[in-house]
Amino acid sequence: MNTAPRSDLAAPPRLLQRRLRVLGTSITLLPEVTRAAQADLGFEVATELLSFPDCQRRAAQDPGGYDVYEQCLHNLDIVWFWGALQPIDSQRIAEWDNISDLARQGGISKYAWRGHGDAPVKKLYVQPGGFLGPKPQRMISMLPTVHNMDSFGYDIRVFGGAKERVSWSWLLDRRARGRIALVDEPAIGIFDAALSVEAAGEMEFDDIANMSIAEINRLMSILEERRAQGYFKTIWSDAAEAAALVEGGEVAAQSMWAPVYARTGATHAHFVEADPVEGYRAWHGGASLSRHLRGAELDMAYEYLNWWLSGHAGAVMARQGYYISNLARAKAHLSAEEWGYWYDGAVASRDLLGPSGQIAVKAGARRAGGSYAERARRIAIWNTVMDEYNYVARAWDRFARSLREETAA
Amino acid sequence: MIRADNPLAREPRYELIARVLRDNIMRGNLPEGFVLLEGPIATIMQTSRVPVQAALRQLLEERLIHRFEGRGYLVGHGGTTLTPLRRDIRELPLDIPEQVDDALQTRGTWRHVYDRVEEEVATCQIFGEFRIVETELADYLGVSRTVARDVLARLQEKGLIRKSASSHWIAGPLTARTLREKFELSSILEPAALRQAAPRIRYPEVEDLLLRIGTDPSVGSETLSNALMELCIAQATNTSLVELIRANRLLLSAVNRALIALGLPRDEAMIEQYRKLFELIARHPIDSAAEYLREHLAIVTRHYLARMKIVAVIRETGDFAPYLSTL
Repeated sequence: MNTAPRSDLAAPPRLLQRRLRVLGTSITLLPEVTRAAQADLGFEVATELLSFPDCQRRAAQDPGGYDVYEQCLHNLDIVWFWGALQPIDSQRIAEWDNISDLARQGGISKYAWRGHGDAPVKKLYVQPGGFLGPKPQRMISMLPTVHNMDSFGYDIRVFGGAKERVSWSWLLDRRARGRIALVDEPAIGIFDAALSVEAAGEMEFDDIANMSIAEINRLMSILEERRAQGYFKTIWSDAAEAAALVEGGEVAAQSMWAPVYARTGATHAHFVEADPVEGYRAWHGGASLSRHLRGAELDMAYEYLNWWLSGHAGAVMARQGYYISNLARAKAHLSAEEWGYWYDGAVASRDLLGPSGQIAVKAGARRAGGSYAERARRIAIWNTVMDEYNYVARAWDRFARSLREETAA
Repeated sequence: MIRADNPLAREPRYELIARVLRDNIMRGNLPEGFVLLEGPIATIMQTSRVPVQAALRQLLEERLIHRFEGRGYLVGHGGTTLTPLRRDIRELPLDIPEQVDDALQTRGTWRHVYDRVEEEVATCQIFGEFRIVETELADYLGVSRTVARDVLARLQEKGLIRKSASSHWIAGPLTARTLREKFELSSILEPAALRQAAPRIRYPEVEDLLLRIGTDPSVGSETLSNALMELCIAQATNTSLVELIRANRLLLSAVNRALIALGLPRDEAMIEQYRKLFELIARHPIDSAAEYLREHLAIVTRHYLARMKIVAVIRETGDFAPYLSTL
């Protein structure tokens, strides 16, 4: 039933002459962001939201079908080598110098541990010869915007009763048997599982972010054993599914994305974000330009990219637990309480709202892992599309398929 | 290198033999009165006598040859009395077009179907692991199981397939490790072969190619890679070395073609590298070219590894040959 107020229905359609087509994922394509962008920029922002792999495939094979591509730096290689994108001139990005060192240098300080895998800086700069690399250049592949340090979520009634330190090993722990869910994305779920088995001492990787075939096979067989022993509740593909699992009380430990806590944190306080002793699995999103853009269309895309760093988008992202690459502008668009909770690791002095207006954080809560700087210093691994990605993605897919079939039965 | 399928290889053998004999009669290479005998013809055509008999019967119907009192046939329609000209057919300057010769040699054996199968088996591997069912391969090719088995044996010899523990033929999956190992091997072998080949490199053709790079859009990285092999590396005197390099390149070039078939764009940076490489080969001491080749191969390795990741997000098109089944 349509409950929209009469005045909304009667509003005359605003015909916008200019239109920018944005292809992306659920990470950035929030209606709150799109609406704000349209209002500020005065042109239509037409979004197309796809799953991670579909989004990459479309971006690679149909560059004429979009103007801006919003995805992650770790899987940018895939699209970049199709020649689907054009380099971004960092001199046309007004806030370029204010973008964090985490994105531009690889760590929040010179001495901070970089983490295993592909820190975003390794895919950021367009090197002579067309490769992407960490050596600073004027032209960049993707404008770094939203990012986070992820872990997993767990039920405090099942874990952590004693003085035990929170560990990734809990994600595949016997105590959660039958009530575990992983995220179905091979560049992400595989690392949640890998961090877990390594933390549990079940296997050790030479380079966890660039696994060998033997290591992949071993990891997949451990997961397969767990599946046969009934460890997994299911496997999920988006935040809504993950939230439903928490709300239904069906999981005791699972892969988690920040917006899920923003949906369930206030109502299901027993299911919390882990601050694992081993550190976080980080990722960095951003926006790229399709290769076909020229002239006025290209200008419009640059306007949109610059808008992303102008503060409003950063504030929306913060309210669902994501960080933005230029902190100062986001701070200007957040209340002191919001900034304190999301970025400074302070206790929330009042209830805080999420992007769509629901209560995301209850007064008195404190973000797991503390402040931005504390969390960013503890990055264990960056999401990475490893050399054997073509192999691991297929192996993961077989596992995910059999898990789905089993749990659907 | 993949040879184009020879269309003549699909024609019946007797047709091919009849064609050769007919052409040579028309040109006068086989003079009137010449005695055609099945045995020697079968020898030069490298076939059995059966198709030779059929070919001769056809020429008889066409009145290009006729019977006489002796063994065999005489060239000519037989209206006049001719003195039989008895000579060994091998002494005559017969024209046997290479394509016909090739078709005659391969018709009915594993060779006339091999190239196509090799290409299909090599390229599927980027999409994971496949099982090859021998009977389905035979059906698909329209050959006997013996021929299918010969094809599989050859594929195994070339390292493209293997037998699983349960005795099934398995192809793939092509991993980053395999690619890296093959390129490592390339960077050991190819610069060495290039140095050895230096005095025999086909320099005029290299110069010609240099003129075409950048002006002729048909010159892509595959053409250039093949030219490097054929004009330069293959000229090395050590034939075992050249064979080793060829075998090592087989899967790599199949991967490259498969990736291009997915729609990957022309790689201008790679073409520029080849231009530089051929310039060094043509105009500078060979050591600098060999050194550059090594660096070039390191960069090509990175390209391949990056491009292989692309395949992970491509939906399998499902148009694999029917004898290949996904595992």
